[in-house]
Amino acid sequence: MGLFDFLKGPSPEQQQSQQESARRQADILMNIRANRPPSSTMGRLQQARTGTLPWIATLTPAELMVVRSHGLKPISTVSATCWLHYGWSWTLGHAQGWDLALARLKAEAKAAGANAVLDVKMRTIPLAVENSMDFTLIGTAVHVEGLPPSPDPIVATIPALEFVKLLEADVVPTGIAIGAHYEWLNDWRGATNQMWQGNTESWALSRLWESVRQQAHANLRQHALAQGNGVLAHLNFSQMFEREANETKEYLARHIVVATVVDARRGTPFNHDIKMVVDIHDGKTPLTGTARHHQSYASNESEGAI
Amino acid sequence: MPSEIPTHAKERLKGLRTSLHSTGVFTSDFSVNEFLLVRKAGFEPIGLCVGTCVYHVGIQYGSWSKSQELDVLSKAMYHARELAMSRMRAEAAAMGADGIVGVKLTIKRLEWDEHLLEFIAIGTGVVHGEGHKGFRAHDGGPFTSDLSGQDFWSLLHSGYRPVEMVMGSCVYHVAHRGMMSGFGTMGRNVEMENFTAAMYEAREIAIERMQFEAAAAKAEGVVGVDIHEGSHGWQTHVIEFFAIGTAVLPLDQEIAPEKIADPIMVLSVND
Repeated sequence: MGLFDFLKGPSPEQQQSQQESARRQADILMNIRANRPPSSTMGRLQQARTGTLPWIATLTPAELMVVRSHGLKPISTVSATCWLHYGWSWTLGHAQGWDLALARLKAEAKAAGANAVLDVKMRTIPLAVENSMDFTLIGTAVHVEGLPPSPDPIVATIPALEFVKLLEADVVPTGIAIGAHYEWLNDWRGATNQMWQGNTESWALSRLWESVRQQAHANLRQHALAQGNGVLAHLNFSQMFEREANETKEYLARHIVVATVVDARRGTPFNHDIKMVVDIHDGKTPLTGTARHHQSYASNESEGAI
Repeated sequence: MPSEIPTHAKERLKGLRTSLHSTGVFTSDFSVNEFLLVRKAGFEPIGLCVGTCVYHVGIQYGSWSKSQELDVLSKAMYHARELAMSRMRAEAAAMGADGIVGVKLTIKRLEWDEHLLEFIAIGTGVVHGEGHKGFRAHDGGPFTSDLSGQDFWSLLHSGYRPVEMVMGSCVYHVAHRGMMSGFGTMGRNVEMENFTAAMYEAREIAIERMQFEAAAAKAEGVVGVDIHEGSHGWQTHVIEFFAIGTAVLPLDQEIAPEKIADPIMVLSVND
C-alpha cells in the first residue's frame, strides 16, 4: 500500500465488495420494513432447518445434554435488533423497542421451523448515540422432535435447564413482557417544600411513585395477556428526577419492568421429588447462613478457617 | 430425570393457543426455581405487591458529647418502612393474597434533597392452591416474609409457617470524646466503656423492638434475622442498627423431628 493509494480508484475487487455490501444493506432495509428477516438470513435459516447447514447453538455442552434428553434439537442461533431513537419518550421507547425486536426474533424462529427460542438474551451495545439505543435479542431456536414447526414459536428468556424444568411442570415460557410508564409532576403548589417540617411523609412524591409503578405493572399485565397468563419479572428499574423551571419544581418518575411471560396451568404439580442437598464444596448455601462471618478485617481478601 | 413433556405444553409448542385462562395474568418477581418451589409447596403466585413511601426526615437535634438514640431519625426510619410495608400488604389484601413471599425492602436517597428518603417494599403475593386460610396472619390479613421461594419451601418443610416480617430500628449517636480524654490512658490499652455501652444500647433497642413486633404478631419465633448497621448519609458517629427477620408459627400439623428429612451431602467437583 502506497502513501497516495487513496488517490487511485478502488480495485475491481474492492468495487465488487462495496457493491455487495450496498446490496445487502438495501436488502436488509427493505425486508425490515416489510417485517421479515433479511434474504441472506432467511436462506441461512432455511438451510439450517433442512440440515444442509450445521446447526448453531449458544448452549454449553451440558445444556445440550439437557436439551437432547428432552427431545429438543437446536436449529440455529436467531437474533433481532431494533435501534430506536427516543423522539417521543425514553420510557415508552423501551416497551416499543423490545416489542419490535421480539416480533423480529419470532419471524426468524418461524423461518427456521422452530417450536421455541430459548436462552434469549436481551442486549444493548454501550454506544450512546444521540438519544437512541439498540434493543437486541439473541437466542437459540430449537425444534421439538415429533412436533410440526410452529406458526408462532415461543420465546423464552431463560436458559435450557430452566426451560425444560418449566415444561415438565406444564408451564410454558412464552415471551417477554414490558411494562413501562412515566409521569411528570409539576409542583406549583409547593407540596414538596417541606424544609421546616419534622418527620413527615412527602405525600406528593409518594403518590407520584405509587401511580407510576401501578401503571407500569398494569401495562405489564396488559402486554403479558397477549402471550400467556403470568409473568416472572426479572428486572425492575426506576428513576426519579427533579428539575426547576420558572421557580417551580418538576419531578419525573419512571418505571420499567421486564418479565418472562409464562403460560401456566394452575394446580399442576411439579413432579420432581425435592431433596435437600448440601454441597460440601465451600460455596454459598443457606445452611451456613447468608451474612458474612468476618467483617472486622476488611483488608483480608477472604475468610479463612474458623 | 423424566423427559416427558406434558400435553398442554406440547400444544403450546406446536403454536396452538389455549383459552383456558379466565383468571387473568399473575405477576411475580420469582426466579424459575422459586416459582417451581412455591408451587410445589402448594401456593400459586397471584401478583407483585409494591408499597412505596417517600419520606421527609425531620431535623434531629442532639448533644455532641452524649450517646443517645436519635429519636427523630429512628422514628423516621421506622415509620417510613412501616408505611411502605403496609401499603404493600394492603395491595396484597386487595388481590386476595394469603401472603407475600420474597419481600425486598430497599432504601434510596433522593439526590436533590438530603432530607428525602425513598422506601420501597416489593414482594410476590401468593394464595394457597386449595384455598386453605390457615396461613394468614393473626389479623386475618396476608402474611409477609422476606424469605426467598427456596427459604419458603424449606420453612414449611421444617414444620413452620411465616407470619409477619418484623423489624426494629434504632438510630444512635455515639458520643464524641473530649480533646483531652485520650491523654490519661496514653501507653495503656483501655476499653472505651462508654462506646461499648453505646453499641450495646443501640443494638439491644433494635432487637427488642423487633422481638416486640413478633410478640404482637403472636409468633413463636423469628427466623433469618439479620442485624446490620447502616448509615444513610448522616454525620459520623451516627449509625442505624436495624434488625429484620420473619416471625414464624408452627404449622397446624407440626412435623415430628424424625420426619424432617436430613440434607444429603454431596461434593461438587466444580468450582
